[in-house]
Amino acid sequence: MAGKSGRSINNVPESPIKHMIFSWEGILVLLFAAVNIFCAWFSEFYNVSSVLRQMPVYLAEVFLMLTMAFILVMGEIDISVGSIVCLAATISCIVCNAGAPFVIVVLVALLVGTVCGAVNGLILTRVPELPPMIVTLATQIIFRGIAEIILGSGGSVSLSNTAGFKAIAGKVGGQVPYILFLVLILGVIAAVILGKSTFGRKVYAIGTNRVTAHYSGIHVQKIRFIIYTVMGTISGLCALFIVSSSYGANTTTGEGFEMDAIAMAVFGGISSTGGKGNIAGGLIAAFIIVCLRIGLGQRNVHSQVILLIIGVLLVAAVALPNIIGQIQKAAKVKKS
Amino acid sequence: MNKKLVSAILCGAMVLGTVSPVFAEEDGVKIALVAKSAGNAFFEIAAASFVETAEAEGSTVDIIYPEEATADAQIKSLDNLISQDYDVICISANDENALQAKLEEAMDAGIKVVSFDSAVNSDSRQVFVNQAGVTEVAQALMDAVYDIAGGEGQWAILSATSQATNQNAWIDAMKEIMESDEKYADLELVEVAYGDDESQKSTDQTEALVTNYPDLKVICAPTTVGIAAAAKYLQDNDCTCKLTGLGLPSEMLEYTGEGDDYSCPYFYLWDMQGLGTLAAYTSIAIANEEITGAEGETFTAGDLGDYTIVAASDGGTEIVLGLPLEFNPDNIEEMAELY
Repeated sequence: MAGKSGRSINNVPESPIKHMIFSWEGILVLLFAAVNIFCAWFSEFYNVSSVLRQMPVYLAEVFLMLTMAFILVMGEIDISVGSIVCLAATISCIVCNAGAPFVIVVLVALLVGTVCGAVNGLILTRVPELPPMIVTLATQIIFRGIAEIILGSGGSVSLSNTAGFKAIAGKVGGQVPYILFLVLILGVIAAVILGKSTFGRKVYAIGTNRVTAHYSGIHVQKIRFIIYTVMGTISGLCALFIVSSSYGANTTTGEGFEMDAIAMAVFGGISSTGGKGNIAGGLIAAFIIVCLRIGLGQRNVHSQVILLIIGVLLVAAVALPNIIGQIQKAAKVKKS
Repeated sequence: MNKKLVSAILCGAMVLGTVSPVFAEEDGVKIALVAKSAGNAFFEIAAASFVETAEAEGSTVDIIYPEEATADAQIKSLDNLISQDYDVICISANDENALQAKLEEAMDAGIKVVSFDSAVNSDSRQVFVNQAGVTEVAQALMDAVYDIAGGEGQWAILSATSQATNQNAWIDAMKEIMESDEKYADLELVEVAYGDDESQKSTDQTEALVTNYPDLKVICAPTTVGIAAAAKYLQDNDCTCKLTGLGLPSEMLEYTGEGDDYSCPYFYLWDMQGLGTLAAYTSIAIANEEITGAEGETFTAGDLGDYTIVAASDGGTEIVLGLPLEFNPDNIEEMAELY
C-alpha cells in the first residue's frame, strides 16, 4: 500500500521488506510506538483509559485531516476550514436552542459546512487561475465574519438543551468514544477512495501535473469542486463534535484547526506540493501528535513547549526525506 | 511480517501504559490553578499569593497555562487535569458556559471545582471566589465615568474579549445602572470595543474610538491590558478624551495624574493578593470538606478573617472579597510597588 502512493525515500524498486521498513509509514508506526512508550514512562497517568478519555477533542480535528489530505494531494490547500467549523457550530447551536430535533441539528451543521465548501469550490473552479491559498484566506475571513455577526456582541452561544450533543459524545462501554469509531471508519473510506479508486488516481494525477491530467480527459474542475465541497461537509461534522465538548460555540471556535489538519497530513508524508502521500500515513501521524500532546500535557508540560516540540517534529518530518535523498544521491555520485 | 512485528510492539506499548505505576498519595491538598492564558500580570499577582498561602498550609499547587486564551484550550487543559490526581481545580475561566461538560466530568471524578476571578456558570462549580460584587464594581466605574465626563457627553468601553465572563458582567451591570438612574441620562455609551487583551489591538481600538467619536469624553477600560494601552495612546497623542477603568498601578504610574498632561485621573482595582489568598483558603477548605459550597456556610480564611458563602446573581454561590480600591495620584506610587 505504501509503495504505490506513499512518500518513498528511494524510487529504485527494492525488496518489499526493506521497502516497508524504509517507507514513511513504517517509520511513523515505529515513531508511534516510541511516542507511546515515552509517554507511558513520562507520565504516571498515561494509560489506555486516560488516552481514550482525552482523545475526542483532538479527534475532531482528525476528520479535517482526512479530506485535507485530498486537497494537499491535489497540490492545493484550504485554510478556511477552521472558520467553516466556527460557522457550522454557531448555526447548529442556534438551531438546537430554537428547539429543533437533534437530527435536524446534525443535518444543519453538515449542510452549512457543505454550502461553505461549495462556495470555495465554486470560486476556485469558476476562476481556476486563482490560488487556493488566497481564495480560502478570503473565505476564512468571510465565514468567521458571518459567525461573529450571528454571535453578536456577546461573542458566544451556549446550548440550552445538551441532550443530543451529550449523546454523540457518548462512549461504548463507558470507555471508547463513538468519535474514535467514526474517525476509523471514515479513515478507511477515505483511504480506499484515495488509494484504490479511479477517483483517487485522478486526484494524484491532478496533483502530479494538472495540465497533463486535463489533456488526459480528467474533469479536473469537477473533481476539485467535489473535494472542496466534501471538505466543507466534513468541517460541519467536526463542528458537531466540537460543540459536544463545549456545549456551545464562540468567535474563537475552530481557530487554527486548518493548520492542525495540515500539520497532521504533512507529518504523515502527504506532500503539500501534491501527488504524494496517503491516508494511512496521515492517520498514524495524527495519532502520534494526539498521543504526544496528551502524554506531555498530563505532566503539565508548558503548552507552548508542547507546540514547540510538535513544530520541531514537523520540520524534521518534512526535511528528513529530502536530506536522506540527498545523501543517497551523493553516495551514488561517489560510487560512479 | 513486519506489520505483525509492529503491531506486537504497539500492543506492548499500550499494555505497558495500562500498568503504569500509581504513586503513593502525598499529604496535603493537591491543587491545580488554571489560568486564562500565560502572560497576564494581573493573574500572576493572585497566583503568587495563592501559591504562598497554599504552601504555607502544606498543600501543593501547580499553575496551568492553556496554550491560548480560549475556552477550547482550557478544555484541553482540564482534560489533562482530570487524568491526574488533583483534589481541587481552581479556575479563572475564558468562557462562562463552555467548560461545563469538562468541569462536570471533573466533579464526577471526585475533583472539587472552585472558580475565581472570572466565573464559570453555577452548574460547573461548587463556589466562586469573587473579587468584588459585580454591581459594586459597575457602580464605582459608572460614578468615575460620570465624574470625569462632568455629568454628560459621550463615553465608550474598551473591553478584553467579547466572551470574557467578568467583562461582560460589568458591562451589562453598567448599562443597567445607566438606564435605571436618571442621574446618568445625559451620558451616552457610544460603543463597546474589544481589544482582546492584546496591547496592539487595544491601542488600535482606542485609536478607532477617538477617531470615530471626536467628542468622546471618557473611555472606560475594565481590563489591565486595555487600560494601559489606551492610557499610552491617549497621553502620547494629547487627546482630550480621558480614561478610567480597572488597571495595575505599576503599569499606570506615568499616566495617572491631574490635569491635561495625564490621560487618567484615577482608576480602580481590587486587592488581587487578597483574592489569591482567599481562593487558596477556599480551595483547601472545600478539599478538606469543611465547606461544600452551599449558601450560609462559614469558614476562616487565615488572616483575612471569617467569610460566609452567599447566593450569587447567576443562581450559584459565591464568596465576596470586598470593594474595589481607588488608585489616584496620592496613593499610586506606593501601590505601584505592590502591583
